[in-house]
Amino acid sequence: MDWPAVAALVAAGLPPTAPVAVTLANRVIACSASARAAGVRRGLRRRESQARCPELHVVTADPARDARHFEVVTAAVDDLVPRAEVLRPGLLVLSVRGAARYFGSEEAAAERLVDAVAAAGAECQVGVADQLATAVFAARAGRIVEPGKDALFLSALSIRQLATEPSLAAPGREDLADLLWRMGIRNIGQFAALTRSDVASRFGADAVAAHRFARGEPIRGPSGREPPAELDAVMNCDPPIDRVDAAAFAGRSLASTLHRSLEAAGVGCTRLAIHAVTANGQELERVWRCAEPLTEDATADRVRWQLDGWLNKRNPNDRPTAPVTLIRLRPVEVVSAEALQLPLWGGIGEEDRLRARRALVRVQGLLGPEAVQVPVLSGGRGPAERITFTPLGDELVPRADPGQPWPGQLPEPSPTVLLDDPVELLDADGNPVRVTGRGLFSANPSRLAAPGRDDALSWWAGPWPVDERWWDPEQAKAGRTARAQVLVNGDGRPQALLLCYRQRRWYVEGIYE
Amino acid sequence: MTVAMSLEQRRVDRAEQVEHLRRKIAAVSGKVGDGRRGPAPSIDPLPDSESLLPLPESLAELLPTSLPRGTVAVLSGARSLSLSMVAAVTAEGGHAAIVGQPDVGLLAAVEMGADLSRIAVIPEPGADPVEVAAVLMDGMDLVVLGLGGRSVPAGRARAVVARARQKGCTLLVTGGDWQGASTRLEARVCGYEVTGPGRPGIGRISKVRLAMRARGRSFGGTVRAVGG
Repeated sequence: MDWPAVAALVAAGLPPTAPVAVTLANRVIACSASARAAGVRRGLRRRESQARCPELHVVTADPARDARHFEVVTAAVDDLVPRAEVLRPGLLVLSVRGAARYFGSEEAAAERLVDAVAAAGAECQVGVADQLATAVFAARAGRIVEPGKDALFLSALSIRQLATEPSLAAPGREDLADLLWRMGIRNIGQFAALTRSDVASRFGADAVAAHRFARGEPIRGPSGREPPAELDAVMNCDPPIDRVDAAAFAGRSLASTLHRSLEAAGVGCTRLAIHAVTANGQELERVWRCAEPLTEDATADRVRWQLDGWLNKRNPNDRPTAPVTLIRLRPVEVVSAEALQLPLWGGIGEEDRLRARRALVRVQGLLGPEAVQVPVLSGGRGPAERITFTPLGDELVPRADPGQPWPGQLPEPSPTVLLDDPVELLDADGNPVRVTGRGLFSANPSRLAAPGRDDALSWWAGPWPVDERWWDPEQAKAGRTARAQVLVNGDGRPQALLLCYRQRRWYVEGIYE
Repeated sequence: MTVAMSLEQRRVDRAEQVEHLRRKIAAVSGKVGDGRRGPAPSIDPLPDSESLLPLPESLAELLPTSLPRGTVAVLSGARSLSLSMVAAVTAEGGHAAIVGQPDVGLLAAVEMGADLSRIAVIPEPGADPVEVAAVLMDGMDLVVLGLGGRSVPAGRARAVVARARQKGCTLLVTGGDWQGASTRLEARVCGYEVTGPGRPGIGRISKVRLAMRARGRSFGGTVRAVGG
């Protein structure tokens, strides 16, 4: 019960003998042994406890802190006896059968466990009993209960003990213990002596569970966590890799190792981390995200592309200073194979889709992963913002949600050619036209000039101010932004342009043609 | 007699039957949503539409016969033409790739009805865009190739044309010359429509009027038309 206090001591860096109390809602919920010796009890007000023990260190409850510091203990116990179940931070249960056989006896196993926990920096008590719940109470008493003597051990305990262990009792257990006490049932043995039907018909479902516990009847065994499967594929490269063709070879064999272990675990990988260590100890890592689980070929391709990218960076100073000696593939995110069930006949169009995808992947192999871009509709106001391009194979994530309302979005039609060329918008006197603080043209535009062109406007409309992200200091630097449409008559051919004003300049954003 | 009649009616060839059954299975298992395939395909096999490329309405009225799959066409002029063809093909469930046009405004294609999940863009195809297009012909129904002013020699062009015909993929070449293309389409902007009275300062651009011209062996001369 004292674990929150122990965790608080460790977190505060105090010696284990210092008095400490953990409070929740101004009441003490846990205290250390030295604080208890000074008269601090659970349920006391904070001020009262400080009055009883003036040097008391008081901290507020923090379940995350308790769990964090308990992880060290769990790891120490797991090293000795695997698959321990954490009932709550501070309380571990595990099946003693295997450990007792391995260490010779239950006493020997208990001793080893106490030593292991002490080495991890905490004190503990061990109890052994037939049933999980009995074992928890045995641990409090530090006893090893003989086989079959659970009910006998429990019968002497006070009926109030029924409600003291929160991880074993339902929320209403306190009231039940209180009621039984007032009815004159003072210890667990008396409660166990009642018949099951009497308990069930008078006190409800939780009382039946408590009754089973009181009689030492089987409830459940400890269910420890399975150790997670090791899926990483590691390869020591000898000789070290400094060329792309060697990398391709390594990628292929690593991919097959990885996929064998993934298949054995019955999972597919949707996020893969590629990790490389060079001869100089430099570490490189990149995580690849994929919309679909990676196939073996796709994994091999990604390893090749990544190593190619690292070994042949554009800037020679960024390249690794030594050849790669170790490559590790780590599946960061896996999905269960059930989620990957393909339709029985592939579905209509599935074949076409795969054929198209294969062709695109081949182009990716020729030109690099970033060369093939897949568009997805995204939110925004201008025509360029409303399409997000992602490299093929990555997750399709639009930059902004297209489902949101985007007031001020340009209506149809959209320009078919997107550009970003600076131009001059001039008025009748040849002065540049700006957008004023009120969102208007400083003068009516009449001509559009750029290097190599000087056209008269036959029609214009706008400006339509774009008031986006004014709260963002980065964006606010760009100043006023507005869009306008103009029709120019260049060489007798009409041309409609979409103009964008930003940073006190006009740009041609698109051509309608 | 009745039995013989019904047998005659149901004499469809094996491929059609397989396709018919597949569609039924897909409909029952519900794996294929509407979004993937567009509107539910009709059960009746239409052999004509299998060998012809779906075309946008404006172009379908203009051309006396549709564009056959597996041909090479040279497009020039306004970009709307190639985008509307991309939109028509993807809306019908085909796949399209756009090579070497980094400035393409795909939002316009979406407004023409394109399905973005069936479009891939290769903005920078490197030194040899024709090679990339030839690779893409394996899986795509339509490849739009921007040559960026390059001209493709006749020998190379012949090899790619043969590949296109074999794979049933239509290649649209823009921004360059292609020796011996069977079809040449040209679109020219001839005017804009503006909402409102048309005075400066009021309204928005609502429509682009295009004049299209088609030349090719299959059309037997030049056809001129104006589309909206």
